[in-house]
Amino acid sequence: MIDKALAQKVLSAALRTGADLAEVYVEDVTSLRLALEDTKIEQAVRGADRGAGIRVVFGNLVTYAYTDSLDEASLLDAASAAASAGSGSAKSQVIDLTARKSSLEYPILKPFDSMSISDKAALLSQMDEAGRAYNPLIAQVYGWYQEISRRVWVYNSDGVAAQDDRFIVEMGGGVIARKNGTIQRAYSGFGGQMGLELLDKNSVAGHIQRQAESAVRMLDAKPCPAGDMTVVMCNGWGGVLFHEACGHQMEADFITKGSSAYTGKIGQQVANPIITAIDDGTIPGRRGSLRFDDDGTPAQRTVLIEKGVLKDYMWDLVEARRAKRASTGNGRRESYRHMPMPRMTNTYIDQGEHDPQEIIESVKKGVYIKSMAGGQADISKGDFVFNATEAYMIENGKLTYPVRGATVFGNGPKVLMEIDMVGNDLALDPGMGTCGKTQGAKVSVGQPTIRIPKVTVGGTDEPVSGAIG
Amino acid sequence: MTNYLKLAQQVVRQAASDGLEVEVIITQSKETEIRVSRGEVEQLSQSGSRGMGVRAIDGGRTGYAYTSDFSDKSIEDTWRSAVELAQVATPDEYRGLPDPQPIPSDDLEIWDANLVNVPTADKIEVAKRVEQAALNYDPRVIITQWCTYQDSIDHVYLANSKGFAGEYGRTTVASFVIGIARDENGMTNAFGLGVSNYFADLDPEAIGREAGEKAVSILSGQPVETQIGTVILDPVVGAQILTALSQALSAEAWQKKRSFLMDRMGQQVGNDMVTLMDNGRMPRGVSSAPFDGEGVPTKATRLIDEGVLQNLIYDSYSARKENKQSTGNAQRNGHRSTPALGPSNFYMQPGHLTRDEIIKGVDKGLYVISVMQTGGIDPVSGDCSMGANGLWIENGEIVGPVGGVTIATTLDGFLNNITQVGNDLRIVPFFGAIGVPTLRLDNVTIGGTKKQ
Ligand SMILES: [Zn+2]
Repeated sequence: MIDKALAQKVLSAALRTGADLAEVYVEDVTSLRLALEDTKIEQAVRGADRGAGIRVVFGNLVTYAYTDSLDEASLLDAASAAASAGSGSAKSQVIDLTARKSSLEYPILKPFDSMSISDKAALLSQMDEAGRAYNPLIAQVYGWYQEISRRVWVYNSDGVAAQDDRFIVEMGGGVIARKNGTIQRAYSGFGGQMGLELLDKNSVAGHIQRQAESAVRMLDAKPCPAGDMTVVMCNGWGGVLFHEACGHQMEADFITKGSSAYTGKIGQQVANPIITAIDDGTIPGRRGSLRFDDDGTPAQRTVLIEKGVLKDYMWDLVEARRAKRASTGNGRRESYRHMPMPRMTNTYIDQGEHDPQEIIESVKKGVYIKSMAGGQADISKGDFVFNATEAYMIENGKLTYPVRGATVFGNGPKVLMEIDMVGNDLALDPGMGTCGKTQGAKVSVGQPTIRIPKVTVGGTDEPVSGAIG
Repeated sequence: MTNYLKLAQQVVRQAASDGLEVEVIITQSKETEIRVSRGEVEQLSQSGSRGMGVRAIDGGRTGYAYTSDFSDKSIEDTWRSAVELAQVATPDEYRGLPDPQPIPSDDLEIWDANLVNVPTADKIEVAKRVEQAALNYDPRVIITQWCTYQDSIDHVYLANSKGFAGEYGRTTVASFVIGIARDENGMTNAFGLGVSNYFADLDPEAIGREAGEKAVSILSGQPVETQIGTVILDPVVGAQILTALSQALSAEAWQKKRSFLMDRMGQQVGNDMVTLMDNGRMPRGVSSAPFDGEGVPTKATRLIDEGVLQNLIYDSYSARKENKQSTGNAQRNGHRSTPALGPSNFYMQPGHLTRDEIIKGVDKGLYVISVMQTGGIDPVSGDCSMGANGLWIENGEIVGPVGGVTIATTLDGFLNNITQVGNDLRIVPFFGAIGVPTLRLDNVTIGGTKKQ
């Protein structure tokens, strides 16, 4: 997008006032989004975003300026705006930019343009028909398709020259079911870093029928009892719990600031020894995978917790420089208009030993969470909350009836010590996660089925009484 | 300097043809963002950007495309792309551009002409004062996270093939901070925030103090016994519930069968203390604008009047479907999105009681300071549950901190069980600008420890 000579020139301009490090990040993004609701394709949107961000580091100060024009004059203007916070003269030189190579391969078998836009729209209409045909209680069906082609280039004055292409495709749908004034909805998506081969592996009709089945079943759900209970969480998307309640607290910016409960805990027991947790930015096909992160650092697999012991945090370039250590390749940004920060990629609790059925059978009275809306966690305290969209009571080891309005509330670090069963059914989510730590980032989460022996469940029904199993 | 309104009109002329309606939006903004930590600037970002979005409506089919590249070629690619995408959409007879209407010229006070002259050093000073106020509140406030000052000088230019052409400028100044407090039992945090159109209206000390005071107040919070009881909601908490209500009060949600309030027009849906308004022309309202995202003049709309459901918010599409007038609620998120129906300045009319008077009236209950929720407040099903931190009240006095509980009701329950409304209306910039005073709410399930 910009050649090496121009990058070198812009970096030199950015270093002019005495910076320690200068960086040029260039991005070229095109996207397509189609949305269906009320049986109509209502949205067909194509976007083009192109620009560059210049970042300059002076000790603890980081300055940033971006431009949506990639001509030399605009880039030099941005460089001088970012450099203007400095008052010295150039103390470092741009080291020769040598292109970094990655051996990671994320193949695209069927490029986005191998199918016409109207055929993509037709898939949404198929989804609509299949959803409505499922049951007369289905009052509404909606669906979406999105593809994003994102090409990024990173050059910095330490000699980094890295390029990455990220092709993300996602399809999803939801339904609203109504019966006698009760309304329930269910929605989900699937996708990943891949081409349209995504559509060979997933049936849109099957997908929407599963949502319809869930929503219709939840129409007859009883209010969830409130109080402390045993909770069993499904595999795959259930990993959002670890992401929210623990993962964010292992991001280096919270660590270096001292606002995370995990600050200073490397080498300590922070989880039950049956738990190993990993952030892996190198898994082919996953939304959070990168060849290079947005600092130009190669993506990697980082063991966060090994058999209950805290091993490492997730680092970006700036935080790693402050701590005088290497980045773990977790520097990510929403766009060229944003500065990178430490972010998760694909984060999961690793495989355990228990058969998932055995986990449910072990519970005398509790709640099984099959599906949930995203969660939210409190950074310093580690409290988390998430709302179940499909949940069942477990009584004497069996799923008995669906419950609605279940909110699970607990403390991440505490729950991690308490999880007492981990299943052997590790799965990553279907590929629709976006993390929103002030900037959006595509991520994956995952886990096997897990059992939390006691956690607070909020609901509107009378409190549970009797034994906690 | 490019005349962007002329450019927008020119692109409209190029793209429009018989039977093809075209609308072009151009946004231009200049943004500053400053983050401080431990009294020093940690991040400083200053940039300008612009973008163009083209909406093409061909026989009721809508296509949209946008770009940040203003070269002739890119602009042509963009409008051609919008026209082509319209072929993919499903025809819908109600889709179409609104007829141009005169835009009232009253001053909405959304333009701080002085902001452009405020030196960066003064903005840094605001961020530092916010942080200092949080830290000074109490020695137990140990650090701040994301202590940010940001401002934005925005211009919007909108033109369409029905002859509308309008532009306005709006300035927004905001500051946000998370205060982190610690005692022997662990850490807590709470945020403080302020937003306004004028630099001088921002109160750095109040923003910092809010974060510090709230974080310290909930230190060592313990769960209470599970029960059904009274809660008092801080405006920041109430605003999260009002956000969901604003979605349930959109005509689109009704037409698409996704509002828990559906089919109850004219009925009593809440306590008679509840009056909900949407006002896109509120002076110094952070979501105020002379016209909405498709060129319709904004206005004030009374949605719930003393508990009776009176109206919904409309854009021109949903209005045409019901043969009504748009309420000027087509919102746009810059140039990257098509207009979408949503609230502007959406708020609950304040009452007469002070916060302290409300607290004094509670025999036993929870004063909710902060909540966490994602998807827990659902405008479709009306479910409403959150994780909460706060203060326990007994006999009208605050007796101690509470943490690790859930509160649950329904949105119906919320509207009907509001028994007191405070006089301290506060606008919180969540989804648009949502305003609510301190509220007392009865019959809420508080989920905590098991009943002994
Ligand atoms: Zn996240």
